[in-house]
Amino acid sequence: MSAVGESLGPKRIAVCVGSGGVGKTTVAAAIALRGALQGKKALVCTIDPAHRLASALGLAALGNKEAVVPEEMLRQAGLTLPPGGSLHAMMLDVKHTWDELIARHAPDPERRRRILENRLYQQMSRALAGSHEYMAMEKLYELATERDYGLIVLDTPPTAHALDFLDAPHRVLDFLGDESLRILGPALAAGRIGMKLLHLGGTYAARALARFTGAETLNELAALLQAFEGMYDGFKARAAAVRELMGQSQVGFVVVASPQPMSVDEALFFHRTLTEEGMTVAGLVVNRATGPLWPESAPLPEGVELARAAGEGSADLWGRVALTVAEQQRIARAERAEIARLFAVPGTPRVILARLESDVHDLGGLAVVASRV
Amino acid sequence: VNLLDKRLAIVTGKGGVGRSTISAALALILAGRGKRVLVCEVNARERVAPLFGAKPSGHQATEVRPGIFTVNVTPPEAMREYGVMVLHSRTLYRVVFENRLVASFLRAIPSLAELVMLGKILHEVRVEEAPGKPRWDAVIVDAPATGHAVQLLRVPQALLEAVPPGPLRRDAGWMDELLRDPTRTGIAIVAVPEEMPVSEAIDLDGQLRALRLPLTDLLLNAMPERRFNPDEGGILARRRADSAPVGPAAAIAHLQALRAAEAGRYGQRLREAISLPAVEIPFLAAERWDQRAVGQVAAALER
Repeated sequence: MSAVGESLGPKRIAVCVGSGGVGKTTVAAAIALRGALQGKKALVCTIDPAHRLASALGLAALGNKEAVVPEEMLRQAGLTLPPGGSLHAMMLDVKHTWDELIARHAPDPERRRRILENRLYQQMSRALAGSHEYMAMEKLYELATERDYGLIVLDTPPTAHALDFLDAPHRVLDFLGDESLRILGPALAAGRIGMKLLHLGGTYAARALARFTGAETLNELAALLQAFEGMYDGFKARAAAVRELMGQSQVGFVVVASPQPMSVDEALFFHRTLTEEGMTVAGLVVNRATGPLWPESAPLPEGVELARAAGEGSADLWGRVALTVAEQQRIARAERAEIARLFAVPGTPRVILARLESDVHDLGGLAVVASRV
Repeated sequence: VNLLDKRLAIVTGKGGVGRSTISAALALILAGRGKRVLVCEVNARERVAPLFGAKPSGHQATEVRPGIFTVNVTPPEAMREYGVMVLHSRTLYRVVFENRLVASFLRAIPSLAELVMLGKILHEVRVEEAPGKPRWDAVIVDAPATGHAVQLLRVPQALLEAVPPGPLRRDAGWMDELLRDPTRTGIAIVAVPEEMPVSEAIDLDGQLRALRLPLTDLLLNAMPERRFNPDEGGILARRRADSAPVGPAAAIAHLQALRAAEAGRYGQRLREAISLPAVEIPFLAAERWDQRAVGQVAAALER
């Protein structure tokens, strides 16, 4: 077992982060599969707006509900789960999760209806950037506190937005907890926005704001804020609980990178940010590294020399082989330098996953990755 | 590449498929034709300027080599520019928008960050130095990864549906019109020949089509060269367990042959699923991603 596997052993929640295109989803699914193979009830959840996880698990579609990967499919891939082990997968439906959250906090059906029917709410819950990240945290909290999974693995979108995802509960606390907004909600609804803003922002602030957004948008917003009245504390408590959960010892972050400069830059940035935020980085994973197929110290072969030694095939063929070896050495050298840069981070458990002969896109491939983690 | 004929060229695709390098290469080609080009990165860790050996441009469009300017479009800066434009006054902007309360409001308006970033980019397409003389011959957008690109590009349509009449809606209107105009705008989908990028590219194609946006090109990046024919592949497979030097060399070459064959299958699948003219960009074993590598990508795009 790798050091990362060992470090993840006692964790109940693993959050995979890293830049796009590094195979984060594959690593997340492999970690969950590994848990299942160890006899855990394991779930992998993706929040990426693109539909990746389903194809990695060979499932046609994933909904906002958890789906169990059928044992039959696992068997076909040569995998037998021990008693107690099961593999589940889900893809977050952001709109649905928002609606559930509103239902949870709304004091009565009427209030719930007013929020759900508000046009700004509908837009916000469907398309607001950052909304994905916030709802992922919310869903993760729900799964962690209300279900009996032994392991939950969360896959996140690429870096720029995954930071939003750390910030999301903070921001919601900021916004919903803003005293001045609370005071303003009713005033806005009563059409007294102008007066309030006159005090706060200078003489023509209100008109200027309306010029920017349109008066009706402000009214819509006022109605939404008013509907939220009294729900702030619930949201606030919830967001604080989510934040608290992420810092607990049962949660481990896994930073995934490919051995390329930009990916390593982002991984280092991530490692630093998470550490500063008091989160535990349980592992650094370098994915899809070029394997050491040609001895590092040996001189590169010449085509003629290879042709002579092989005794078959044209000199031209072995010339192209020599070219391929040189190319691969160049890549491997560049990758080694990047890996060294990432692994200069002290202390954190680490693992290098060599690139497989073929792309990982089924359970069999996942199992190979799982065994190496 | 059809994208090269457009005033607004948008480069989309999964994370890690080489959107920034391709954006840089497109800029290099256009600059070589004597055009003045702006490359916009969207709230990103800047990659394009460093590819040209320049330091990041930040939010001021900066010339990184003759004819090529880059800029990183971020929400606060775009918001300020947009606000100043609407209010016609920097002082007024400060008074109004930097008020903490107002800032809270603006944060609560759905997708405003996306709107102002997109607005800034599209404004650059329209802006003229003198009547009839646009500031840029072309604006290239290094768009965010798949899902977030769709979020960005659907903002005008979403706002037209959700927001009551007013200035926001008016802006959404002209933005929507420009984005959907096939004479001015082109969108390329970039993919590399691997399972996930291919699935995502097909997904993205469907989503952008549903938004009725003008897709123009499919760019197949990092395609490994078909270096060995099947007979040669047979020899390599047979000899890869030999002792050095033949064995390890044959093993490395055999792996290359496998990848090339697999890439060919993925390329085929993409061409079948996405009905766009496809351009292949060969895999580059570059030790460093710099201007030289960008030049090689540009050469492949121009072939």
